Amino acid sequence: MSAVITASGPWNKPLPSIDHDNAPFWEGLKAHQLLLWRCTRCKAWYWPVCYCRNCDNDPYAGQMRWEQASGLGRIFAFNVHHIAFHPGFKDEIPYVYALIELDEGPLISSTLVGAKLPKDIYDIGQKVEIVFEDHPAEGFTLPRFRIIE
Amino acid sequence: MPKHPWSGKFAIAGLGVVAGHQPDRSERMLAAEATRLAIEDAGLKPKDIGGAIDLRRTGGGGDRASYSDAFPRLLGLNNNFYFVMGRGGALAGLGMAAAMSFIERGIADYVVLTGAVTDWSQAQASRQKGFRGMNHAEKRGYWGKPLGDLRAGSHHSWMAARHMAVYGTTSRQLGHIAVGQRAWAQMNPDAYMCGRPMTIEDYLNSPLLVEPYHLLDISLVSDGAVSFVLTSAERAQSGKAKPVYLLGQGFGEVSAALWWEKKNFTHMAVAPAKAQAFSQAGIELADVDCAQFYDCFTAEVLFQVEDYGFCPKGEGGAFIEAGHIAPGGSIPVNTSGGLLSCYHLGDLTGLAESVLQLRGQAGARQVEDCDIVITSGHGGELVSPGMCSIHTCTVLGRKP
Repeated sequence: MSAVITASGPWNKPLPSIDHDNAPFWEGLKAHQLLLWRCTRCKAWYWPVCYCRNCDNDPYAGQMRWEQASGLGRIFAFNVHHIAFHPGFKDEIPYVYALIELDEGPLISSTLVGAKLPKDIYDIGQKVEIVFEDHPAEGFTLPRFRIIE
Repeated sequence: MPKHPWSGKFAIAGLGVVAGHQPDRSERMLAAEATRLAIEDAGLKPKDIGGAIDLRRTGGGGDRASYSDAFPRLLGLNNNFYFVMGRGGALAGLGMAAAMSFIERGIADYVVLTGAVTDWSQAQASRQKGFRGMNHAEKRGYWGKPLGDLRAGSHHSWMAARHMAVYGTTSRQLGHIAVGQRAWAQMNPDAYMCGRPMTIEDYLNSPLLVEPYHLLDISLVSDGAVSFVLTSAERAQSGKAKPVYLLGQGFGEVSAALWWEKKNFTHMAVAPAKAQAFSQAGIELADVDCAQFYDCFTAEVLFQVEDYGFCPKGEGGAFIEAGHIAPGGSIPVNTSGGLLSCYHLGDLTGLAESVLQLRGQAGARQVEDCDIVITSGHGGELVSPGMCSIHTCTVLGRKP
């Protein structure tokens, strides 16, 4: 069972960019599921939406489906933001922004939450799991990650 | 090695540069002024210009008028075509490739290619509202904005971090890129950082903005414009300025490597671009007298030094720390000071410096017997988690 955080207070940061193609992904997050795009023929996973690289594709990648992923991965690279480029992040610096290689293969990026944060930039490969951060007032859920053993 | 039939058949016949902060001017006026300077430098009149290409970070859209109010009208050019080309910092390279086809077919004798930015002035305005950096340039559609992925440094720094983790590259080694380029800038009166020298201690003591990047790993935010005139080698030879010949060009993209092969975090799409450009020009790496590499951040220089083969992959940090790319080194890199210390006009910064070096007009920083220069572009979409995908390589020469 993945962790869930419920955020309160007004949202004063940029909004997620949700459009027709990625709406199921954002609906999945609200239901606390990480959905990735998967080819029904070769079973390869993709994110964001795309045509399968291994197979001949149906029109508009019609053979692809959204499927629930494990929400597990490893840190591929990360940085530490010591500056708030946007005023909404003033109270959050320093924050760790990581590129995560999901166990299914695709890369995704997000910030890390929790007490256990990587300290040394050379230290990559740590296991992470998804944390769903609900923003009920705004009607979206953000995928964040935390380090696990 | 035999050259490609078109190698040396086109040349840059004029260059115009407007550098420094321009708080009271619009981009279109800066573009028009740089274009006027380039036409004058070539010994031409506006009526000689048959076509104009507007080099912008992003194609289409934007807040600058494209047709009715663009620089060709301001200058009264007699152009038969005008269009906007946009692909991050890969504009001069792509623009030249397009311009050649118009010249080759006799549609234009001379084409001007111009890029202008007022990033510094616009950043000052958004700073008042609590934003830092290039807020004005960010468009909708990036993945990571609500998560704090706000500027190029938010994800470009992963490339440095990844190189450090995989190859053991150190912050001090990255710092020597910034320090070396700052040293070059001290010999360039047009460089924003001329008169402001920097030591490795200055670098290490500069604040960490997006760790591992310090403030001094990050390129400048500039105002200004660069314009150049492209024509046939034959016409350029009867011009006022010393011609700079286009010997080879190559292009590569790492988008598939980025997303699916996870490979481009320690290299750029140099391999295909270099192979195409070098084989057209009939040159080898040893023929290159200096390199003007795209350097939005320090790690981009590190990657290119390795990817072009000046040293093996993973050994760039030590190679750079030994002083090889700084003044007095074995391969001068970014002799103007580059985007880090001169001005940030995308790949036009490196192009302008290449022209000056090949004409022998680079003053105190002139590379001796400079016959062949490579200059690169880099950029494209910044869809996080992502990087600029494109790499362009242009080989320019003093002789056709």
